[in-house]
Amino acid sequence: MDEVGRRFECEEYFVPEMLLSSRAMKASMEIVRPLLAATGAEPVGRVVIGTVKGDLHDIGKNLVASMLEGGGFEVIDLGADVAPERFIEAAATRNANLVALSALLTVTMPSMKTTIDAFQSAGLREKVKIMVGGAPVTQRYADAIGADGYSDSAGSAVALARKLVTA
Amino acid sequence: MTGKERILAKLRGESTDSLPLMPITMMFAADLAGVRYIDYARDYRVLADAQVAVADRFGLDYVSAISDPAREATDLGAAVEWFDDQPPAIVESRALLAEKSKLVTLRVPDPAAPGRMRDRVEAVRLLAERTGSTRIVEGWVEGPCAMSADLRGVNTLMLDFFDDAPFVEALFDYTVRMEVEFARAQVEAGATLIGVGDAAASLVGPKLYTRFVRPWEQRLIAAIRGFGVPVRLHICGNTKRIVEGMGQTGAEIIDLDFPTPLGHARRAMRETQVLLGNIDPVRALRDGTPASVEAALAECHEQAGAAYICGAGCEVPRGTPHANVEAMTQFARSRS
Repeated sequence: MDEVGRRFECEEYFVPEMLLSSRAMKASMEIVRPLLAATGAEPVGRVVIGTVKGDLHDIGKNLVASMLEGGGFEVIDLGADVAPERFIEAAATRNANLVALSALLTVTMPSMKTTIDAFQSAGLREKVKIMVGGAPVTQRYADAIGADGYSDSAGSAVALARKLVTA
Repeated sequence: MTGKERILAKLRGESTDSLPLMPITMMFAADLAGVRYIDYARDYRVLADAQVAVADRFGLDYVSAISDPAREATDLGAAVEWFDDQPPAIVESRALLAEKSKLVTLRVPDPAAPGRMRDRVEAVRLLAERTGSTRIVEGWVEGPCAMSADLRGVNTLMLDFFDDAPFVEALFDYTVRMEVEFARAQVEAGATLIGVGDAAASLVGPKLYTRFVRPWEQRLIAAIRGFGVPVRLHICGNTKRIVEGMGQTGAEIIDLDFPTPLGHARRAMRETQVLLGNIDPVRALRDGTPASVEAALAECHEQAGAAYICGAGCEVPRGTPHANVEAMTQFARSRS
């Protein structure tokens, strides 16, 4: 998936090719995962991902989830339109160390802040790193809402995730 | 010149007293009018009031019936989630065409029948009555890729390109037949331009765009032009690798989102192709200043050349300072 990401970044691959690669990767992982587990190999990190409350646009999130899985992360994909409490519950019960929030619309971006604030209120903010992304999201916005990281593409999201979980 | 005269003169390649100004306003217009977006999207009278208000306030050369991509899908019975104050969204996990076999059972809906398509037709009719003598009245339809994604689910459609090409062709054929009828009804109600929004097309590369999408965009656009009105093709997202093909669709206006520099588009198209756009709606327009908005638009104009209409890459975002939109107006009025 690193190579797929590289081709996507330089516009040799596009979303259909990414999703096709993702499908092949997932099918392969079904075979490989038990073998990896038998060796005791640990994932690079455990990430809970979803689009925030009110946002049903999930294609960008799906690309990032595939890239993260291909990059060695265990991905807990909550889907689209995810309420803050669902992010919190999944992060707590699955012992995740990373949360990835996606939004495509300017009007749903505030749900990112609501979610981050909810982690604070639940006393879990220090246990997870939170990264954000999506077309209208900016580094400035990520900083303003207290996210730990921002990425503007699926490929760079993997590098960011690796950096965050090793920080 | 009136806004209508200005836009039509630009499309004919004639000189204008200033640049035409056609930014997309939806939530921004609803907020300006003090109405909830659910009412804007559901009631043509609310939409028309807000469109006239935003056009009056900022001197826009047109008004538009665009509101959300879910009108046709709603009338076909797709699952749609409504929100009080943001656009409705199609629920992909319950896509209408999750089963491909259902396509053959779908009929082309009648835009005159009660529903959300008729509500848009009525919006066009009211806008034409209220402001059509001096402003362009824009109707709106979904493009073949976007509409197919709405019905099939965008994630699934992207794989259908590889898995089942005949199905994709049949689906695009259906959507174009539907949108031709929707456009016809809007033109008959008084639309003097039709916008075609084909956002999902920016997700594919040049091979799939040329093979699947462009031929159906061409058919749709040719049919609409046959009704005697010009067409604006708007594709959100990064279209750098398909923009040359967009210039071959026959649309009078190619409306580009900010990731595609207008200079790049100009090099891929003839000098007379009118380009519209395309400052970054969030970073440059909403989060910028009047001075930075003017500078960004000057760069767009420089890159596009004379065949240029002033606008943002996509919708003017909710929360954009009025001074920044006024800067767009002042820029447009100061150039020709």
